[in-house]
Amino acid sequence: MSGVLLEVENYSGAFWSPTNELVPVLHQVSYRLKTGAMTAVVGETGSGKSLVALSIFGIQPAAFVCTSGRILYRDTDLLGIDEKEMRSLRGAEISMVFQDARAALNPVFTVGRQLADVYQLQHGGGRSAAMAKAIEALRQVSIPEPERRARQYPHEFSGGMAQRAMIAMAALTCRPSLLILDEPTTGLDVTIQSDIMELIVELSRQRGLTTCLITHDLGVVAEICDEVVVMNAGRVVETGTTEAIFTAPTETYTRRLLAASQLLEAAA
Amino acid sequence: MKIARLPLATLETSVVPSRARRKPKSYWALRIGIGILAFYIAVALLSLVWTPYDPLTPGIGDGYDAPSLAFPLGTDRLGADMLSRLMAGARYDLGISLTAVAIALTVGTTIGTFAGYYGGKVDIAILRGVEIFQAFPGLLFAMLVVQAVGAGITNVILVLSFVGIPDYLRLARAEIHAKRHWQYAEAARMVGNPPWRVAFRHLLPNSVGPVLAFTSINAAFSALVTASLGFLGLGLGPNTPEWGSMIARGQDGVMTGQWWVSFFPGLAIMGLTGSFYLLGDALSDITDPRRRQ
Repeated sequence: MSGVLLEVENYSGAFWSPTNELVPVLHQVSYRLKTGAMTAVVGETGSGKSLVALSIFGIQPAAFVCTSGRILYRDTDLLGIDEKEMRSLRGAEISMVFQDARAALNPVFTVGRQLADVYQLQHGGGRSAAMAKAIEALRQVSIPEPERRARQYPHEFSGGMAQRAMIAMAALTCRPSLLILDEPTTGLDVTIQSDIMELIVELSRQRGLTTCLITHDLGVVAEICDEVVVMNAGRVVETGTTEAIFTAPTETYTRRLLAASQLLEAAA
Repeated sequence: MKIARLPLATLETSVVPSRARRKPKSYWALRIGIGILAFYIAVALLSLVWTPYDPLTPGIGDGYDAPSLAFPLGTDRLGADMLSRLMAGARYDLGISLTAVAIALTVGTTIGTFAGYYGGKVDIAILRGVEIFQAFPGLLFAMLVVQAVGAGITNVILVLSFVGIPDYLRLARAEIHAKRHWQYAEAARMVGNPPWRVAFRHLLPNSVGPVLAFTSINAAFSALVTASLGFLGLGLGPNTPEWGSMIARGQDGVMTGQWWVSFFPGLAIMGLTGSFYLLGDALSDITDPRRRQ
């Protein structure tokens, strides 16, 4: 757990406003994702936590411009490489789980076919072999009757099931070193949420993944994450180990955030 | 770690209630549409090897023979057998409109997908060009061009497909443009798909419904324009057993009681366009995965 897999360094950016002015939204954001660790990026809506994650993939909104900084992945500046190099990293090195899994699955293809397509894209091989891998991946994320489920369309999946399928795609069919989860459990039932989080922890331990969990659910963070990055209004407020952040937060904002989620008492 | 099984098992019984209600209607339209079209194709193929009489030879009957056992659909002004001509005509009307539609569909959708996915200046230039072109009525344009470049099946097909391309282009462009930032498109990019794959393999299949529905309208339109050109004596040779030109040949007889010469080709055209409409309606329902079992 010593090395650093990804480092965001003084990353600043702005949006073009409709009146053609630059409105700064990210200010000198810096944080590190340690190899093999699970890092949480927490903060309220609009704090810029997702925007930084999208920047790692180079899919930030068109109106967004980076004004300074670097995003280093294994010593490569992700902001400096071209589209083709970025594409070779996506899926193979870094992959992402979205918030709304049902919207992230293509509605006209069966779930099994989508996983098989990704498998073929990443690893090559024949169609039936890829489908077998897809069913295997669905089984590993505890989807019951994976053979039958693989033939179903995304609208036949519930939110929790679809999220499992997305996790299978992002973490198993792709074989990334870095997995970014953008609020993977938002909008799901509480019981399903904990199932999904258990699955994520299990898979990342098993495969030695470095994970970055973007969330505002501090309860989950306290339970499973090793490191925490607190963001507010486009700035990193505080970084540290989960223990340090939850037991001895130094910044007022962190304390207020913990108080708001009523976890301060429990953690202290 | 143990994963709770209970909620997972109960999730499988979700049924979309509208599915049962929509399904019979789609299949009803689909069966009739396919049935009629298959009949036309069968007749067109049969006419290659067998027709009751030679469709191109006049003077088999006396001229304006009423439908009888010898001539089930009668004969036209020149005494050629109507049934034979009608059968041979299926080859022309069906072949021309289907080929034109296939070309327009392929070319228009491909250009439209590129324009919609990449956007920018090229997109705007293509759209403006298409809009100027669309300011001309399709039939008028087809008439002018056929008159200018000369008659012949190839020219008619090319002109018809050219008239169809802008519609497919605009439709595909609008569909892809609206969907290119949907989350499944982002997700597809995220796992390393190159842009052309995102556009053609992930986005385009989501627009199959509207494109197919339009294809049916366009096929019916193409069949009508083919017949119109024939009726006006443009495009194909004067003795070609094309349904539109057969209607034209029979139009004098309508006033004097020889209704069959124009009626049967008209019926054939109506059946063909009708089957295209039915087929398109059914296909746009069926290609929507939410209505698929």
